[in-house]
Amino acid sequence: MKVRKGEIKVITGNAAAAYGAMLCRPDVVASYPVTPQTEVGEQLSRFHADGILDAEMVEVEGESSSMNITAAATLAGGRAFTATSSWGLMFMYDAMLQAAGFRAPVVMANANRETPGILAVSCGQQDMVSTRDSGWVLIVVENCQEILDSVIMAFRLAEDIEIQLPVMVNYDGFYLSYLAEAVEIPAREDVDQFLAPLKLQPERTKLVPERPLGCGTHGILVEFMELRYKHCAALERAKRKLDEIDQEFGEFFGRSYGGQIEEYRTEDAEIVVLASGSAAGTARMVIDTKRAEGLKVGLIKLRVFRPFPRERLTQALKGKKAIGVIDRSVCFGWNCGPIYMELRALSPDIGFVPMMSFIDGLANMDISIPHIERVIDEVYAASQGKSYQEVTWIPLEE
Amino acid sequence: MTQKKKKLPRVFEYFRDEDQFAGGVAFCAGCPLELTLRILSKVLGRETIIVGTPSCSAPVLYGQNIGTWHRLPYYSCLMTGVASSATGLVRYYRKIGKDVTVVCFTGDGCAADVGFQPLSGAAERNENFIYICYDNEGYMNTGIQRSSTTPFGAATTTTPVGVVGRGKEMSAKNLPLIMAMHRVPYVATATLSHMEDFIKKLLKAKEKKNEGFVYIHVFSPCPVGWGIESDSAIQVCRMAVRTNYFPLWEAERGRFRLTHTVATPKPVTEYTKLIRKFRHLTEEELARLQEEVNSNFAFLHHLAEFETPKAC
Repeated sequence: MKVRKGEIKVITGNAAAAYGAMLCRPDVVASYPVTPQTEVGEQLSRFHADGILDAEMVEVEGESSSMNITAAATLAGGRAFTATSSWGLMFMYDAMLQAAGFRAPVVMANANRETPGILAVSCGQQDMVSTRDSGWVLIVVENCQEILDSVIMAFRLAEDIEIQLPVMVNYDGFYLSYLAEAVEIPAREDVDQFLAPLKLQPERTKLVPERPLGCGTHGILVEFMELRYKHCAALERAKRKLDEIDQEFGEFFGRSYGGQIEEYRTEDAEIVVLASGSAAGTARMVIDTKRAEGLKVGLIKLRVFRPFPRERLTQALKGKKAIGVIDRSVCFGWNCGPIYMELRALSPDIGFVPMMSFIDGLANMDISIPHIERVIDEVYAASQGKSYQEVTWIPLEE
Repeated sequence: MTQKKKKLPRVFEYFRDEDQFAGGVAFCAGCPLELTLRILSKVLGRETIIVGTPSCSAPVLYGQNIGTWHRLPYYSCLMTGVASSATGLVRYYRKIGKDVTVVCFTGDGCAADVGFQPLSGAAERNENFIYICYDNEGYMNTGIQRSSTTPFGAATTTTPVGVVGRGKEMSAKNLPLIMAMHRVPYVATATLSHMEDFIKKLLKAKEKKNEGFVYIHVFSPCPVGWGIESDSAIQVCRMAVRTNYFPLWEAERGRFRLTHTVATPKPVTEYTKLIRKFRHLTEEELARLQEEVNSNFAFLHHLAEFETPKAC
């Protein structure tokens, strides 16, 4: 079913995240200002002030609280949204782990920003990468429209009775958070309808008075292992669910993103570049140029970092001659990019072809067209049997 | 045939619900927490949700090996997330129009130290719940370490008495006073030796939480950590009140009132001599503690007498 066309507005990535959240009618919203995400909270407050958003707004005193508030609100039975970035994400890390352990279906927007060392007020995926093992679903998006759409899809995923996991929608800070693009804003009733299947599902467990239910317990218990087992199983289920929800979203709103991964001109490609976030848009352009030159190159845009789309990537990459991965963060202790490291774990599935790690774009360094051209050239050379360097820090080796 | 009802002592008249706790609970022998919680559930009733953390009260309140010793719903979070988790709950209940009494029940280490930021934040936002801090003056559950409410001179495992060590060098943080300075609808101190006072404050708390944030600071001696006899906790509570070491007061939006006054306060040594953690203190050190008690009480007394000047 295709719904009516939404209103087109030129809005920033932050505003897109706020619109996405507002359209889903959250019961509780809590967020703390942190560059470059602050505008999300401001926009939601404006919606509330204008009577468009009927939610409990909590102006918290820190991110740890925004995560605890939203997690508790979902366990009481509500829908909750928060947004953060970088240090803010780190400051809520304990609460994030608990939200995941509690299977609290919080949806959070995260404007990716560098974390460690000097105060890099700039883009980088290191914050998201640092939460890799938090048990959250980590979605990464490319542009402002995808931010809005992914927030809506994130609620469908998080609150699904088979999933019940917190979901983080990551978008490049600065590049997307402050970039204004034309974004189609779906009609509220259509979003209601898209989310309606959640109401048909069995009710989630709720913490209400006069029902002796406990959230959390202490002690050494075998049930803990069972909970971990079920958590991992839910993350596995989330993969298929992501694909299904994305497809349904496409049928509904006329836009879909490929689910776990988006494949661009990969079918007959001999070499493939793997990228995520806003860099995927630049990469797509360069792929077209290289294709015009006769090079059989394709692009895979990674849309979810956790759960890692093992099956889809294997299927897409099997038989390729060489693969290059562009990471906007580092994997400490492995001296390579984190997504690259994950992909290397798939070597037995994909085949032992040259795989190359390209680290680029840390702290707002542009992942530019010449950079991506260089990636493609080097991956191509490797596919032709030439010796290659496994890890390249692109801006440092120009 | 009608049976003549026996007249009960007064405090029982306040109980409106049955005890929500099982007969035997896993607290240390003589710990006043057990009585505090039983009273709490009987006075506030079963439409209560408890929020708390890993702590002394955790095994009983927040479950151990998936068992608990009570019938109240509860939410057990991290020490950094008590007041904020309670906020999440009450905000959602408010959104759906449900009247629920949410009670945070934590120790002083959580309230005064690691969980202070969300506590202060929730107070400033005037969230509609009751926060009860049972103050046993340190991290008793993890093995008697000092917290910021540990008093001057007290021996703990992180302020041990040794060749040069003399117990805690700094004074205690006055948490109830800090909370009262948030000018929330209701702040009170209480302890079990003055049961009726405590119960009245609980009832007031339940009423006042409809206006916003409520904080109750319950003085709670720890038999194990302080070195007192397991049958003496209530006696220690009483002596803390009689020496003005722990005055009983309440404050409504910053308006202070002493709820119990001691005509002739006993010297603080009458209190410290009951407790092993103070046993090493010299006369000079005890004099400093006495001076702290005096000045704290004088300050409180000023607050209770305070009137807004007409010229303002």
